[in-house]
Amino acid sequence: MQTAKTFNRRLGSGLYAYGIPIVTVASALLITESLKPTVFPTPLFFAAIVISTWYGGTGPGILAVILATLVLDFFFVSPVRGFTLRAADIPYMAQFILPALLSGWFTKKRKEAESELKETRDQLDMKVQQGTAQLRNTNEKLQSEIAERKRAEEAVQKTQADLAHLTRVMTMSELATSIAHEVNQPLAAIVMNGSAGMRWLAAEPPNVERACESMRRIISEGERASEVIKRIRNLSRKASPHRETLNLNEVIQDVLALISTQLAKSRVLLTCDLKPNLPDVVGDRVQLQQVVLNLVMNAIEAMVEVRDRSCDLLIRSGIDERGDVFAIIQDSGTGLDAEHVDRVFEAFFTTKVEGVGMGLSISRSIIEAHGGRLWAVPNAGPGATFQFALPAAEIT
Amino acid sequence: MSRSEHPIVFIVDDDAAVRDAVKNLLESVGMRVATFGSTADFLARTLVDDPSCLILDVRLPGVSGLEFQRQINASGLEIPIIFITGHGDIPITVEAMKAGAVDFLTKPFRDQELLDAIHRAVERDCRRREQAAEISELRERYEELTPREREVMALVTQGLLNKQIAAELGMSETTVKIHRGQVMRKMEADSLADLVRMADRLSTLYKGITHPS
Repeated sequence: MQTAKTFNRRLGSGLYAYGIPIVTVASALLITESLKPTVFPTPLFFAAIVISTWYGGTGPGILAVILATLVLDFFFVSPVRGFTLRAADIPYMAQFILPALLSGWFTKKRKEAESELKETRDQLDMKVQQGTAQLRNTNEKLQSEIAERKRAEEAVQKTQADLAHLTRVMTMSELATSIAHEVNQPLAAIVMNGSAGMRWLAAEPPNVERACESMRRIISEGERASEVIKRIRNLSRKASPHRETLNLNEVIQDVLALISTQLAKSRVLLTCDLKPNLPDVVGDRVQLQQVVLNLVMNAIEAMVEVRDRSCDLLIRSGIDERGDVFAIIQDSGTGLDAEHVDRVFEAFFTTKVEGVGMGLSISRSIIEAHGGRLWAVPNAGPGATFQFALPAAEIT
Repeated sequence: MSRSEHPIVFIVDDDAAVRDAVKNLLESVGMRVATFGSTADFLARTLVDDPSCLILDVRLPGVSGLEFQRQINASGLEIPIIFITGHGDIPITVEAMKAGAVDFLTKPFRDQELLDAIHRAVERDCRRREQAAEISELRERYEELTPREREVMALVTQGLLNKQIAAELGMSETTVKIHRGQVMRKMEADSLADLVRMADRLSTLYKGITHPS
């Protein structure tokens, strides 16, 4: 159907095109006639030729030239109303025809240039539209990709929180002995002071002063026990990661306070070398406590069997060459085989008889989620060193 | 245990609250207590010659309670030990008991548990002191014997007749009887059986006592 339409259009435009020279030349004639003798005849005919070439094309342009020449010859060149041409009038005619043809030709060229320009512009328009459509498409794809990435990240975070919770629970059972120990101390003191208090009151005469002192001791030991429980509960709470600006030295000290009694009673000699004015880091306090606790407990357990040398636990904090905040936990225990140095961080890998193998893997993923890195190095002497680094918080 | 002796209980635990609570409890039943925060402090104490016992926490900074028990045993200091611990520590329990501990209590224990253990420990120490006193006494008496008398005593306690002893030692029966009488007197033995028991007790200290060298 396209070809029929275009044919009709072509036909229509063809008739239309060849009508233009007729109309324009006729108009020129009429106007010139009516304004004679004040107007030169030739300019209007030039206009007619230009109009015909422009709107009609090459063919109509040539027709216009021919018609104009004939009309000029007939109506304005003597003899008026005759086609005969005197020799003397040939220069006149020539002076008309040649410029007429020339102007026709220029017009045609101009028209071609214009239509080429129009075509180029149209093509450009089309290309721009295509480009815009493509961009819109890409943009939509990107948006959906971003949305999916966001969903995936949320899923990962949830899994991490679940795993971290699981580790906390499992580390809890590993810690169960030391927790029981922390709480049993104040409990023992409470029971004995209570019993003593009763006996003081049952004495002859009752020793009220010492009974009161016994009560005071009971209260203070009760508070000590509840502090321990509070700290432990904080550690095992399943909370979504909560970012804040915090000081790594504080995190380390919190963890040491939590296991203070156990540490004091072990044969471990603790050396703490925490750099003062340590830059803050951004992270989840409970998660980082979890990591420090994991590393410190591992260190202590590595030294449980050691008999022939001192059990040294070194905890150091500072800033490394990159400007990151680091913490080192070094023990003098059973140490790591060179081949295990990286494997220890794998999930379910453990060298302990009753180990689960999740602690270090979780610790590493927590540190990495904080934008840091955690690694292990066997010592030159006995034992191993675990180190992690976190990017310092940007000062705003 | 003689009335003039007043037992004293020593407690070594690095946890001040526990130390003080034990002191409070024992004082409320009228016992003497001395508290120490470390084994070093304990070893630096001024010695008293009274029945005593030691309450020792298994886990102490630097030295394990068991290790300290070994040290005490090796040094010849004979003091009954009651272990206390905040952990379960089952393997340590067995070791500790085998090494001669009176008891092994897990915190938090009932006051009566501790008091009973202390009672047993102090009893044990009193008995040991009695025995030590007795042996010391016997030793003193034995020192009084002349070499000849000792020879006679050795053979008498083996069950030899005077005649046999005389033959063995190359003396007359009469001489044997005289020596025998001296031995019985000096050793303050009531009967032969008594003397034999004494010889037995002394045999750990004196090698040739029942077998003449």
